[in-house]
Amino acid sequence: MKKKLDLISAPTGLQPGNYVKEAYVDPREPSTPKADVEVTQNGKAWQLTLSWDCPDPVTDVSDDTHRFIDSVAFMAPGTPDAVWITMGEEGKPVEAILWRADREAPLRVVAEGWGTVERNEPPEGWTVTSAWDKGRWTVTFNIAEWPALEAHQQLAAAVWRGAARNRAGLKSVSPGWFPIEA
Amino acid sequence: MAREKYATNVKRQVAMVLDLNKCLGCQTCTIACKKMWNTDTGSGYAYWNNVETMPGKGYPANWQTTGGIDAEGKIKRGEIPTLDTGYGRAWTFDHQEVFASSGNEPSQKIWIQPKEKNVKHGANWDEDEGVGTYPEDNHYFYLPRICNHCEEPACLHACPRGAIVKNEENGIVMVNQDRCHGYRFCVEACPYKKVYFDPKRQVANKCIFCAPRVEEGVAPACARQCPGRLRYVGFMDDEDGPIWKLVKKWGVAVPLHPEYGIGPNVFYVPPMSPPQLDMHGVPLDEPRIPMAFLEQLFGPAVKDAMNILLEERERKKAGESSELMDLLIAYDWNENFKLDDGTREVFS
Repeated sequence: MKKKLDLISAPTGLQPGNYVKEAYVDPREPSTPKADVEVTQNGKAWQLTLSWDCPDPVTDVSDDTHRFIDSVAFMAPGTPDAVWITMGEEGKPVEAILWRADREAPLRVVAEGWGTVERNEPPEGWTVTSAWDKGRWTVTFNIAEWPALEAHQQLAAAVWRGAARNRAGLKSVSPGWFPIEA
Repeated sequence: MAREKYATNVKRQVAMVLDLNKCLGCQTCTIACKKMWNTDTGSGYAYWNNVETMPGKGYPANWQTTGGIDAEGKIKRGEIPTLDTGYGRAWTFDHQEVFASSGNEPSQKIWIQPKEKNVKHGANWDEDEGVGTYPEDNHYFYLPRICNHCEEPACLHACPRGAIVKNEENGIVMVNQDRCHGYRFCVEACPYKKVYFDPKRQVANKCIFCAPRVEEGVAPACARQCPGRLRYVGFMDDEDGPIWKLVKKWGVAVPLHPEYGIGPNVFYVPPMSPPQLDMHGVPLDEPRIPMAFLEQLFGPAVKDAMNILLEERERKKAGESSELMDLLIAYDWNENFKLDDGTREVFS
C-alpha cells in the first residue's frame, strides 16, 4: 500500500498541564505538512516506510541544551476503539514503533492516554533504517511481527521536526487512523 | 487566560531564608552543592545553586525575562537557554601546559587560563560589575539562588509526563528521571530558570533541597557550608523556627519575584546599603541600591521589610535588645537551622 499523507499539527489544547496548551497555541501549519507512506506485508512481517521533506535534519543533540532530535513513529490501536488523538485511554491502549535520528535501534512504545507513554527496547526482529538525502528523510521499519497491526489493520503516523523544536505533543500527525489496504 | 491552580497535598513546607546583607559572593555554597550532587558530564554547566551579581544578567543570562511567566503572572512561552549564550559551557583549563612550563623563566611561564576562547557567558559572568558611577552611586550585591520549591511549581505543571513531583512530607520539588523524556517544557516554563537539562543523558535535573539530608534533620549543604552564615532553614509553620520568625513574625524576608504568582519558598532579607554621595562627597538620603530596583526583584513588600530592618538596627545600635538583629547576626548558629526534633546541631 502506498499513500500520500496530509499531516496536521497535533492539537495542543488537549495536552496535560497548564503550560503547553497556553504557551503553544495550535499552529495553523504543521512543521511537516506532507509525508509518503508505504506498507508491505510478508506473512507476519511488516515493512513500514515513511518519507518526508526535511531541509534541516537534526541527528545529534548531545552537545547543547536547546536542540531536539528528528523522530518519527507509526502507531497502531491495541483495541478496536482505541482513541488516536489521546494516544489511547485506560484499558484501550495504543502501540507504536519510534525512530530517533540519534539511535540505531527503534523504540517500542505503549500508551493508555496522555502522559502515559512508556518507551522500551524493541522485541527481537524489530529494526529500522534511515537515510537523509537531498532534503528528505526516508525511514523504514522492519517488524517481524506486530499483532496489534495484524488485528486492527490501521495505523497513524507522527513526525517530529527537531529544527522546529518539535517534541512530545508538538508534532505533525496523520489526521486520525488510516487503513492499510492490501 | 489565568493559570490553573492545582491542589497539592503537601503537609509541611520546608523553606530557606537568605540574608543578602551577609553574602560574600564566595561561591562556597555553589561548590558545596556542585560537588555533592551534580558532577555528571552532561550537566557540567549546571549550577543548582549559583550566586550572581545584581544588578546584572544573572545565570542563565537574562533569566528574569526568558521564563514561562510574564510580569503579570500569565503564562507565556519561555526560552531554553543555550550552552554558549545562556549558561556558558563549563571551562577546561591548561593545567598540563602550566605544569610543563613551571621551570621556565618567569616571562616564559604559562599561567592558568581557560582553554575556551570567545566565551559569551558563564555562571558568574558579570561578577562585581554592578552599575552606577564611582563614588556617587556605584553599587552591587550578591544574589544566591536555588530552586524555590514553589507552592505551584511551573515546572511541575509544564511536564506532560508527570515526571516532576512535590514531596508531600516537605514540599521539596524533584525530577523523577526515570519518567523524564527530556522534553524541556520544565526548563522553558520555570520563571527562575532553575531546571537544567543534561544533553548527554537527555533528562532534566534540579536542586533537591538536599532532600536526603533534610530527611535526617540536616540542613542543605549550601546552607551548612556558608561561611557568612547567611542561610536559615526550617519549616514554614514552625513558630519556634527561624523561617516563621523572619518571614511571618518580623516580615523582613521576602520572596524573589512574587508577581510570578507561583509561591516561592525561598526568601531574602533585602540588602541595606550606604547612602549615595553628592558631587562634593556629602551623603544623601538615598541608599545606593535604589528601592525601585529592590521592588523590581522582591515586590512592594520589600519596602516595609527594609524599614523594619533599619528600625531594629537602630534599636540595637542604641543598646536595646532586638530578637531580629540577634537572629540575623547569628550569634548562635544552631538557631539558623531547625528542621525537626531530630535536627543535628552544628556544634555538639
